[in-house]
Amino acid sequence: MNSVRRLAVCTLLGTLSSPALAQAANDPPAADRPDFEALKASGAERSRYASKQPETSAGLAPQADLEGFRREVAPILSGACFRCHGPDRQRGGVRIDDMDPDLFAGEDVDWWLEVLAVVTNGEMPPADEANLSDEDRGKIIEWLSGEVQGASSARRAEHGHSSFRRMTRYEYDYALQDLLGLPAGYTADLLPDPVSEDGFQNSSESLHISAMQLQAYLEASRSALRSAIAVGDPPPTLHWGVHADQVAALEWKRQEEQLDKIRERHKDDPETLEKKLGDQLAKNEKRPGGAHYEELATGRFAAQSWHYSKGRFAWAPESSPPTLPKTGDTVAVVPRGRGLIIELGDQLPLEGVMRVTVEACRADLDHKGDPSLQLHFGWRASNDSRAVFRVSSEDHIVDAAPGSPQTYQWDVPMGPVYPRNSVRGTNKMGDLPSPSEYIKLVNGSLSGGPLHVHSVHVAGPVHEQWPSPSHTRILGTADEEISELDRARSALTGFLPQAWRRVPSEEEIQRKLELFERMRPEFTSFEGAMIEVLASVLASPNFLYISTAGPTEHSSDRDSASISGRLSDPELAARLAMFLWCSVPDSELASTARQNRLSEPAVLRAQIDRMLGDEKATRFSQQFVRQWLDLSLLDYLQIDGKLYPGFSAELKESMIEEPIAFFHETLRGDHSVLEFLHSDFSVLNERLAKHYGVDGVEGNHFRRVELDPEQGRGGLLVQAGLLAMNSDGKDSHPLKRGIWMLERLLNDPPPPPPPAVPEIDLTDPEIAKMTLKERIEQHRDHAACMSCHAKIDPWGIAFENFDAVGSWRDEVAGKPVDAVGVLFNGQELDGMDGLKAFLLENRQDQFVRALVHKLTTFALGRPLSFQDRAAIDGITGEVRRHGDGLATMVQLIATSDLFLSK
Amino acid sequence: MTNPIASLDRRRFLRGSSVALALPWMESLAGACPAPNEEGRSGAARKRLACIYMPDGVPMPLAEDPAYQDWSWFPHGSGKDFKLTKCLEVLEPLRNDITIFSGLSHPLVRAVHGHSNADQFLTGGPTGAVGHYANTISIDQEFASHVGEQTRHASLVMSTDGGTGTPRGSHTLSYDRSGRAIPAQHRPKKIFDALFVKRDADAAQRLAWNQSALDDLLAEAQTMRRSLTEQDRAAFDEYLQSVRETELRVEKAKRWLHIPLPEVDEDSFDLDVTPEDSRNYLQTMYGLMFLAFQTDSTRTATYQLARENGIGQSDHLAKAVGFPLSHQLSHETKEPGGWKNFGIYCSYLAEEYGRFVTRLKETPEPGGEGNMLDHTQVLFGSASSAFHLSRNYPLILAGGKAMGFRHGEYVNLIGDKAFGGSWSGGKEPWQQEFTHEDKPLSHLFVTMLQRLGVDIDTFGGSTGGMPGI
Repeated sequence: MNSVRRLAVCTLLGTLSSPALAQAANDPPAADRPDFEALKASGAERSRYASKQPETSAGLAPQADLEGFRREVAPILSGACFRCHGPDRQRGGVRIDDMDPDLFAGEDVDWWLEVLAVVTNGEMPPADEANLSDEDRGKIIEWLSGEVQGASSARRAEHGHSSFRRMTRYEYDYALQDLLGLPAGYTADLLPDPVSEDGFQNSSESLHISAMQLQAYLEASRSALRSAIAVGDPPPTLHWGVHADQVAALEWKRQEEQLDKIRERHKDDPETLEKKLGDQLAKNEKRPGGAHYEELATGRFAAQSWHYSKGRFAWAPESSPPTLPKTGDTVAVVPRGRGLIIELGDQLPLEGVMRVTVEACRADLDHKGDPSLQLHFGWRASNDSRAVFRVSSEDHIVDAAPGSPQTYQWDVPMGPVYPRNSVRGTNKMGDLPSPSEYIKLVNGSLSGGPLHVHSVHVAGPVHEQWPSPSHTRILGTADEEISELDRARSALTGFLPQAWRRVPSEEEIQRKLELFERMRPEFTSFEGAMIEVLASVLASPNFLYISTAGPTEHSSDRDSASISGRLSDPELAARLAMFLWCSVPDSELASTARQNRLSEPAVLRAQIDRMLGDEKATRFSQQFVRQWLDLSLLDYLQIDGKLYPGFSAELKESMIEEPIAFFHETLRGDHSVLEFLHSDFSVLNERLAKHYGVDGVEGNHFRRVELDPEQGRGGLLVQAGLLAMNSDGKDSHPLKRGIWMLERLLNDPPPPPPPAVPEIDLTDPEIAKMTLKERIEQHRDHAACMSCHAKIDPWGIAFENFDAVGSWRDEVAGKPVDAVGVLFNGQELDGMDGLKAFLLENRQDQFVRALVHKLTTFALGRPLSFQDRAAIDGITGEVRRHGDGLATMVQLIATSDLFLSK
Repeated sequence: MTNPIASLDRRRFLRGSSVALALPWMESLAGACPAPNEEGRSGAARKRLACIYMPDGVPMPLAEDPAYQDWSWFPHGSGKDFKLTKCLEVLEPLRNDITIFSGLSHPLVRAVHGHSNADQFLTGGPTGAVGHYANTISIDQEFASHVGEQTRHASLVMSTDGGTGTPRGSHTLSYDRSGRAIPAQHRPKKIFDALFVKRDADAAQRLAWNQSALDDLLAEAQTMRRSLTEQDRAAFDEYLQSVRETELRVEKAKRWLHIPLPEVDEDSFDLDVTPEDSRNYLQTMYGLMFLAFQTDSTRTATYQLARENGIGQSDHLAKAVGFPLSHQLSHETKEPGGWKNFGIYCSYLAEEYGRFVTRLKETPEPGGEGNMLDHTQVLFGSASSAFHLSRNYPLILAGGKAMGFRHGEYVNLIGDKAFGGSWSGGKEPWQQEFTHEDKPLSHLFVTMLQRLGVDIDTFGGSTGGMPGI
């Protein structure tokens, strides 16, 4: 049952949809909305985990209950199933009567799991085929669950999947950041990691390495080390100071030249001259729509002039900080959505920090919302090559009163800024293509007013300390009393345990020192040689691989740990840090582990709490959610701009962020994971709120927003990005949405399509006329397709009220939306509300278990198999009995036997 | 820079501030590079690839235009029965050594302005129109990754403008496996020195300390391996394998240090020539490419004659035929004699290409059978045809008869569907809707690679080759 189950194999429906007209983004009428809170409560009562006590099967020697099967289960199966899945017929290729009921030793475990799933979910038997009383259904479930539980535990000793793996690219990047105190971005040249069958990038089964990758790791660590470690004297800091008065003076001059030109051109024709001059003067008095300069006393305006050619708008740097008056006669006005370009030439640093300091304030008090400032970086080399992109993370909210500017500042590490103008260095200023670069101050607010910029000071590279604190932390300070070899030893003694997550042996330190001694003569400086030595520490398998085996000779407590199958404390620390921070342990976690206290339950729980509270836990939310929900689909999403003119790159960026922010909010508050199915809050920024028609959200940062119940936008199922990425860019795509939900949320992927799927004849006018739902139903009538699609389509159809960008719609191409899906067992799903209601009422256990399964897969960095099933069930039961909190779930996973074991 | 490893910094490399010869990763590791291989060094096994790019499209007058007969770039006719126009008639003596193609282009950027598309000429990558930029490996680098170890230099990357250029304004045809631009060399002197002037001291030093670092990694890997379970060992052996492979390459690279550089007469070149002296510059660049092949210093070379859109020094190439600048010729086709002027420039580029091909043909294959052209595929073309239109690429493939190419044909896949004419305002050709779709150019690339001995059936997102050529 672990065959590859990917959608799109069955793409024929993808080509079917006719473009639907985008409807207004209003959400559905709330008239008959179900009471979701009540459904959550009643659904919880049905949980099979609710009453069950933790398994205490320790004393029992587990073995298959074949007698119970013969007595209780076989007769029921015979009556309810064998007619279609027996000797005479094998519907869907499934035959039950000859399956081996011994789950402990038999070969048919996967089939029995399928039986358990369909019987538990009420998918089988179909209502019109056979009758299965609740009591009989209960008997099957009870017997099968017990057998599965016992057999899964009994098979734990069998050969399973190992967690031994190398770091992923993103883990390597985070680890470099944490070890070296660097910004992100040193791993851009590493190949992307493959995605495993179950959707994860950190899976031991798919993380391979080649000579080329090894070299890439080595290069990445070298280049990171070169940024972190200072060689030689600090590079001089250059300063650019630009005041609005200075720029405006040039603009006024341009205006005068313009007028002179008119005077010259029409000097022989006084009538035309007067008219043209009048036109031009009137134009100068009109406020431009884009960024512009304004003389406050006179109300004189000039639009910002800028052209890339010859770099003639570039400001030249000085070697000392400029003196800039706080205010002046003139301001630069940046209206909402517009940007002010400050061109800076070809001397901006390639490495180190660029500091941008802006004196700015609101332009007026008329607007309700504050303007906000973003910093963009860009260049334009010629008419066909340019780049401009945001380099600030969160916007600065500009709330200073007009006339009283405040200081807003960014420190931008330039190393990771990409792409830079690549003709820098080859071309000179004034050449074409131009090597010049610029910054752009953008008013990023969606509803605020314009802002005033009085002055801008750019400095780079800025170093508060030289060498940097991380340099000193890694290499110590130079001291003539200490020999270089001793300094190298002391640096390595500090760095190796952090990088390798364990205490290195004396022999290992010695080997590195020998390497240092061989390198040293080749380099002019101590630092240069140490960079090479440390690069080899970071390309070592001791850094690169997350091992649960430990070094054989060096760890005294390894033997006892290995006998019990438990992780040693340092190994546990490494696994925990990879799970919750996607990186290596910090010093507190590492030292707790070194003292062998980490595996004490109270200490472990306290560390998990601390780690979840740390800023670095956002990496967990980001990486897990991205992989769990397959947000990479959004990266590649191409929305048809003609059908959806409101769609933009910024909106897409917000769409990618929303599920991550929602997850993180749920994690921080330890809210119930059922909030993912339906919630009365969202986590939104202004752009998304506008997309959803939610009022009162201002600014580009994400924050929790309580929803009116009638807004119906709570939970993952209705998030625009997740709906959009499962569309085809023009219209909804029920099949993709259905499969995505089954795979990602319910962990119940449908089987792959059969090899010979018939094409749909699009030239048939009868088919061309049909609505999408009609086409799907027609396709489903085909015998080869039916069994799968009956399982997929109804789920996807319930999403039909959402178009290709996740906006609500009541009509598709002039026909009312039909969003009623009927499940195989006759259960009706009436649109999104019906779907949510059904899941909350009937599938809570399945969803919670699915999430435990996904999180545990991510936590262990390996696929789960049958041997892990009992443990997953155990954790799920604990989670359910503790109220389904997400942080609780993480706690229970990270303290489970599964997590603590090899 | 006192630090010798600074020259290995790939990030700096990519920013174009380095002027070292652009070579794939082993180069950066070993300095002077890959390994002598006895089998590879015998002439019989040699297969070579050269790719040359001209920018800004070609003359495409409409059938009713008086210039159609003489100054259409594409020949008239098809199959063996075709007539070269004045644009290509300089290639008539090579008629049986070339195949001309029409109706081929890369699918992903057909709706993008032609001036943005030199980047993907050899890759077929998704380089897009604006914003986020990505590219994929170029055909020469794919080939180099298979044969690069057999020569001192894995590949030779040249352009008239030099460096990487900018995204969608490339100054190089070559992209590595991550889709990063490989900076091109543009100074003949630098290229000559890199190919033929000894610089072993540095390389020896770097190789020595690479060896030391690798020894460490190997020792650590073996210690770790001992502590693993049987199952994990199997997975971990990949790492060991990677270290060993890298060591092997360092070992091989060391051997180059003792193999003398080919002796070449520097005086036969004017190595300080600039593109201002157009014809001499082109002949020098082609001459260096020829010499690199003849001495088996590399098996693959790319040369971008000029960047798109007439920016920078390469725009002066048309001086050789009496025009001040090249790119504007493609814009002035509505002027009297416009097609002819543009055609004369294209004919000059074809002439120098032909000179290179002829030289290969006239030179016996060193240590092998036939002539050098029989063992060298030489692709020539552009990523646009009509005004800014990225369809129906003009393409000529020469040589490689020993690899199975027949030649003497015009594979006219576009027929009467070719889009042509001057642009007279309104929507530009590339913005229009087309009912006719070209065949993917990558089909030809797959066949070229297969005949070069690369076991591949997909390239640039297209599967399958182009049989029968």
